[in-house]
This record gives sequence, C-alpha cells and structure tokens, in this order.
Amino acid sequence: MINVTGLDDAAAVIADAMEQQQHLGVQAMATKAALGRDADYDDVINVSAFSGIIDYQPDELILTLRAGTPMHEVESTLASANQMLAFEVPDLHKILASQSAGTIGGVLATNASGPRRLTAGAARDYLLGFDAISGRGERFKSGGKVVKNVTGYDLSKLICGSYGTLAIFDEVTLKTLPKPETNISLLFPCDDLSAAVARIAGIFASPHEPNAAAILPQAIAAKAGIDVAGAMLAIIRLEGIDVSVADRAAHLLAAHKEGVKLDNDASTALWQQIRDVDLLAEADGDIWKLSCAPASAPAIIATLFDQFDFQFFADWAGGLLWLAGPSGAEFGTAMRSALAANGNGHAQLIRDSGNSKNVIAPLQPLSSAHYALHKRVKAAFDPRSVLNFGRMHDGI
Amino acid sequence: MQMPEPDQAVIDRRETICRDLRELVAADCVIDSVEGRRAYDADGLSAYRQLPLAVVLPETVQQIAAVMKYCHSEGIKVVPRGSGTSLSGGALPLADAVLVGLGKFNRILEVDYANRCVVAQPGVTNLAITHAVQADGFYYAPDPSSQIACSVGGNVAENSGGVHCLKYGLTTNNLLGIELVTIDGEILRLGGKHLDAGDYDLMGVMTGSEGLLGIVSEVTLRILQKPATQRALLVGFDDTGSAAKAVGDVIGAGIIPAGMEMMDGLAINAAEDFANAGYPRGAAALLIIELDGPEIEVNTLIDRVAKIMDSAGASSLKVSNSEEERNLFWAGRKSAFPAVGRISPDYLCMDGTIPRRRLPDMMVRMASLSQKYGLRVANVFHAGDGNLHPLILFDANQPGELQRAEDFGADILRACVEMGGVLTGEHGVGVEKRDLMGIQFTEEDMKQQQRLKCAFDADHLLNPGKMFPHLHRCAELGRLHVHKGKMPFPDLPRF
Repeated sequence: MINVTGLDDAAAVIADAMEQQQHLGVQAMATKAALGRDADYDDVINVSAFSGIIDYQPDELILTLRAGTPMHEVESTLASANQMLAFEVPDLHKILASQSAGTIGGVLATNASGPRRLTAGAARDYLLGFDAISGRGERFKSGGKVVKNVTGYDLSKLICGSYGTLAIFDEVTLKTLPKPETNISLLFPCDDLSAAVARIAGIFASPHEPNAAAILPQAIAAKAGIDVAGAMLAIIRLEGIDVSVADRAAHLLAAHKEGVKLDNDASTALWQQIRDVDLLAEADGDIWKLSCAPASAPAIIATLFDQFDFQFFADWAGGLLWLAGPSGAEFGTAMRSALAANGNGHAQLIRDSGNSKNVIAPLQPLSSAHYALHKRVKAAFDPRSVLNFGRMHDGI
Repeated sequence: MQMPEPDQAVIDRRETICRDLRELVAADCVIDSVEGRRAYDADGLSAYRQLPLAVVLPETVQQIAAVMKYCHSEGIKVVPRGSGTSLSGGALPLADAVLVGLGKFNRILEVDYANRCVVAQPGVTNLAITHAVQADGFYYAPDPSSQIACSVGGNVAENSGGVHCLKYGLTTNNLLGIELVTIDGEILRLGGKHLDAGDYDLMGVMTGSEGLLGIVSEVTLRILQKPATQRALLVGFDDTGSAAKAVGDVIGAGIIPAGMEMMDGLAINAAEDFANAGYPRGAAALLIIELDGPEIEVNTLIDRVAKIMDSAGASSLKVSNSEEERNLFWAGRKSAFPAVGRISPDYLCMDGTIPRRRLPDMMVRMASLSQKYGLRVANVFHAGDGNLHPLILFDANQPGELQRAEDFGADILRACVEMGGVLTGEHGVGVEKRDLMGIQFTEEDMKQQQRLKCAFDADHLLNPGKMFPHLHRCAELGRLHVHKGKMPFPDLPRF
C-alpha cells in the first residue's frame, strides 16, 4: 500500500509504476472494493489523505472538496446550510458488507445515484469540475467552479463512473441544491408489476411533480413494515414546501382513492431503505442492479421468473431493478438476454455471494465497437494501464 | 482568426470529390455550385464566412456513415452542421472540408409516454419536440433562445442551455441516448431509454464536444410534464450590487426559480423602446424571476420572493397576474438582442460565467473597459447561474471597431476567468473563443482534452480549427515524458 498526500506524490508513484510496468489499484476507504472485476494489482495507491472541505458557497450552490472526504462529513457540511447532493447518494454498506458509505470520490467514480436520480439526475450531472492526475502521471483539470459551463470537453461526465481507470482526482467541485422542506409518500396497491408501472406513468403524466417512484412486491414491502392489499405496491414521493406537498398529495389521493399517505419521517425512512437496498440485504444469493427502460421492467421480470427463483424491487419508476437470486453465470446471462430483447440496458453484479465474478462479467459487456473505443479512451488517459487496470472490463 | 492552412491538394480535387460523393448520396444532395454553397458559408457568428469545399446532405444514417468513411479514407476534413445557429462558429466551414448538413434528418421517430421520452432525428428543431408532445401536457425543458430554428443535434453538439436551465439543466441533463457516426463510419448507440449505461459516459463527452468527436444521427430526449402554473416577478433596483445580492438571497432561502434574469440600464431602455414591456426606465438593474410548478406552491413562493426583493431594497416590483402579463415581462428580455441591434449598427454577444457574488465587481470592470475601448456595452445575464451575456456595441464600418470590440470581449472573458469563472456558459468555444482557451486551461489541460479527441478522430479530420488554439498531432500527444532521465519502457515501440 502506497499512501499519497497529494497529486504531486501520486504523479511520482504513477511515474515509477510506468517505469516498472506495474498495475496499481486505487482506493481510499475501499467500501466499494466489491464492485467491478477482481483485478490483480502489483500495489495499491491509497488516497484517503485527499480529505477535507475546501470551499462551500451555499448561495452559489457550490461545494469544492477533496475526493477522499468521507460521505458523512460531506453530508454534515451540506446539512449546516440545509442543502444536499440532489442525486441522493446510496449507502450500500449493508449489501456490500463494508463499513460505511465511503468517500465522495468513490461515489463519483461509481456514479452512484439514488431514488431522486429519476428526476434530478445522477452523480455525473453534479460534478462541475475536478483536478486530477492521469495515468500518464500528468496533472490536468477540467470543468470549473460555476454551475454553467461548456468550455472544452465535459470530462466530468467521463470521469464519473470510470472506476478510477482513467485518472485519480483530488479536488472536485459539486453542484449542491437546497433540501426540500418536507416529503410525503403515497402508497398504491396494484395487482401486478405492469399495473404498478402504468400507475406510476399515469402520475408522471399529471402536473403533481413526483420526484421518485418505486415498486415493492408484497413480501418486500412487508420487510419495510408495510402491509399491502395487492401483489405490488407502487410508491410515489412528493417533495417541496409544505403547502405544495400537502396540496399535491390531496389531489392524487382524490384521484386514486385506494392510496395511503406516509408523512415526512416515515416517508424518509422508507426511501432510505429503498435507496440503500436494505430491503434485499438479508436475501440469499447474488445481488444485481439492472438499468432498463421503465416500461420494459414487467417483461424482463416475467422472463426471469420463468427461469429463476429470486426477489426483487424496482426504483426509478421501473427503470432500476434490484434483484437477489442464484449465484453463478446463468442469472446474469438471462438478465442480459432479457435486456437485449426489451430495448437494452445494463445489468451489473453488485454482491457476489460465491464466485460468480469468475464466470460472468460483473459489468455489462461491451460490443466490439464500443470496446475498441473504450480501449482508445483508456489509452488517452492511461496508456500504460497503470490505474485500476481491468477493474471495469478485461483489458481496460 | 487564423484557421488551419487549407490543403490545396484537397481543394484541387474538388470536382472528383463531389463526383464521388454523388455515388454515396442522391445526386441532388451534393451541393457544389458557388451560389448553393454560399447559403452555408457562415453560422450564427456571421462575422466569419468561408465557402465550404462542398455541401452534402445525407438522408439516411448509412449515407452519413458512407460519407464519413469516404472522407476518412481520402483524408478529407468534415464540418458537421445542424441548423447553423451556433453563436461561436461551431459550424463555420473550411475551404478544404466537406460540410455535412443534417437538415434532411427532420423527423420525430417516436413519442414514448410510457418511458417519458422522444426519439428524434438530429435535424428536428428544439421547439418541434415540445410541439410534438404539448397536447398531452409534456414539454422538452432546454430552451435556447434560438429554439424555433436550432436543431436538437446541434443542441447536443453545443450542450445548449436556455433561460430555464437554472432549474432544469442543460442538454446534457435531459439527454437519454444518442446514435453517433464516427469519423471512420462506424455507427454506435450510446445510452437509450434507460438511465446510466454503466460504462464510460461517452454520451456525456459527446454532449458539448462541438462536432469534434462524431456526428449525432439520432437523439433520445427526456420529456417532462408541463408545470401547472408559471408566474413571474419584474423587479427594479437602483444599483446592480443590490440586484445581484437579491439573486443570492433567493437561492440562499432555498428557492430555485425556473429562471432568474438580469438586465442593466442600457439593456432595460433598449428593450423598453423595442417592446413596451413596462420596464422601469430609471432602474440600474432589472430582475425577471420566474417560478413554476403547482399553483399553491408558485403563489407561496412568489410572496416569499417578493419579501426577499423588498428587503434587498427593490425600487419597483410587479407580479404577473395573467399569462399575458407574464409574457409581457419576458417580451422585453426576449427581444433584448434585436433591441440592442436597433441602437447600434453591430454588436458582439459574449457568454462568460462568473461566481454570482462577483457580479458587482464585474459591472465595475465592464464600465472601466467600456471607457478604455470607447465602446458601449449592454448587459443581459442569466443571473441565477452567473452566466453573462454582455453585448458590445460597435460599427463594423468604422475602421478598427470590430477589432476593438473583439479585444473588449476578450478582456471581459479574461476577467471572468480571473474572478473564478469560465469562458463560455452555453454558446461554446468554437472559433470565437478558441484562442482564449489558454486563459482558462494550461497547455497540459488542453493536451489531455486533445488526447480524448485522438481516441475518436486520430487524424483531426472532424471540425479542425475549432475549440483548441493549437492542433497537436496525436502521435506527439501520445508520447510519454522522460522520467528520471530515461523513457519508461525503453524496449517498447514508440507510437
């Protein structure tokens, strides 16, 4: 383990690694070590020391900090000005068997986004700029410290979700937003998944501005302490100022008589369980995360139920499926075929309960043309494959 | 503005190239007459004009791919063009480049309410997306001021914004998927109707890449339910500092309006002369603040914002009580550019962004620069996000005035960067701000960006001369630095 305190340190380490033809793993708190492929590294570069808030300007909606800053520190800083990261950072430590939600750098490197991603965007939408060291051992910066900027290529997007395979960032600037005054959840029992997806789509076609939507099967809802009359529970979250949330809830409940309301605290607690995938933490087997077109969810789930015994729930109005099912290659392979038959998407292995990673790629495999372009992009930043080589895809 | 030296050998082959292109697309989709090409000789940055080598208007994605493949194998440069409304010269032709116009890609392919998205060809106009879905209560949020004309493919290339992006984001935040044709004629799909593909976010990189990485041949856009209510406040201030502070106070109170615009005295009076919108002529600064959403929320927030404006020392305040009134508030702002065009033979529109708290400093700086250059400047701002649009007034018929106006503009952008901001908030770098990139970025920053370019277009055939002040050969960019006196991997072949 090589501990570095800044980008200049890291540059020297990377230069040495280039010389010695070494591959380095990159980590801070390593809470997301289970994500991606198990790659073999000659050594690990630890960036935990890249920690601390640098500048916070709530009324500019700007937070500049070092990438190794722990999430709890980020959250308490934002809470001091009643603000938040609108993409709602998930804390997957229960399903990943790690100690905490980790650092902001890990969140950005995995583009980790929670329920509000549906309407407010992902981590990648909130990274405004960064300073980094490339796999070439050279410092560069991209973006800026203002919310509106189109100067040069938007490398913030590229670096988010690149699992540390392109560069190591230090200083990052994020867009923050005010926390909503309150939130309410509305719960609607539905006969099946199709009905739940359609119910949510209907509410999104109303002017009542839901900002998150999940679907829990009866047994999963029971884990959250909710008794459901139907096979599926559609859940809508409303956020904003008190009078607005109350008014919208009243309108929706008038239009959907069987709906039930959960007030602020109960609603917050429910969405935290959805966000953090607590509802599957005790399930056996592997846990997969599947991103699809929301309306395709019923067909995908039906196809999988024909072949496997598994538990699931949906977030993002049906566009994000969390599944807990059998270990091995077959489950994921079936998911990927079901996606291909239903408008495409992405299936990622999140928790490997056995040795599934040895038999199936944890990230959705790339077509040959996409792979070739990915490889060229990797080479543009890290031509000697020093950083997290093979973490996302074999050879990248 | 120095463009790359045209390749005379390519220009000499013009007739052959046009003949070859006619083999790839319908004969009438290749324009090679001088009169025909003249229609494409500039975009929205009309101070710069150049006849393209040839114009080709493909009708299918396979034809785009065939044209790209041909140009790639023949070493011919390509300039992509949507509707040609770029304000930074992104679609400025080159004498030795084929201009690929996407004008025939004008169909909406699918409206998908179940997944809340629209799939469209890149030549469809921005406003046409909203028109296709508004009867069902939906709309497409990014609203650049050129939205009746600008194409959605161009919006992707430039990452276009608009007055409502404070709340709803730029194009990049509203884009779900694209189909892309690379310079070697490969057709790739990135994203789709799902969110967050899970690999490198190449769609995010394509967005705002100004036509340097590929040609967008299809887009999938997120559509939103239209807000139930929209209301606006029109607020005058006797000094710009108080107005700027008022904007910060609104956000500090946890309110994100749909839009917050500011105009200075010269812009207020020009707009009022033009549009009779009822703007306070004596005010030094005017804010237009729009709130949208459920009616009860909008009404509550309007009251809160009005109180904030009062405390901030507003000299006048009006709240819209009807759609007519709201539209009237906007009429002046929306006609600000033509209105300024009436008080001056020519103007240059700049587009820097600064941290909002620096607005008063920037006003002082602009006043002193205005004196230094002897040119007037009118200001309209997207104040909520600190995006400035100074309009520098000049007369191109007066010798030296264009140059003076450009120098003035460059000084404003230098000040933006110096104050912690950036060169361009929404118009793009193009040719206009290309030579200023070094103010914001180091040589190494720009080299890293160009290495990404090399991953998509190793021969620099796509839209060269835009965005980067110096073109480095990809082989040179790929070279690794000497470390501790020797090259790493001395035994490996160098590329």
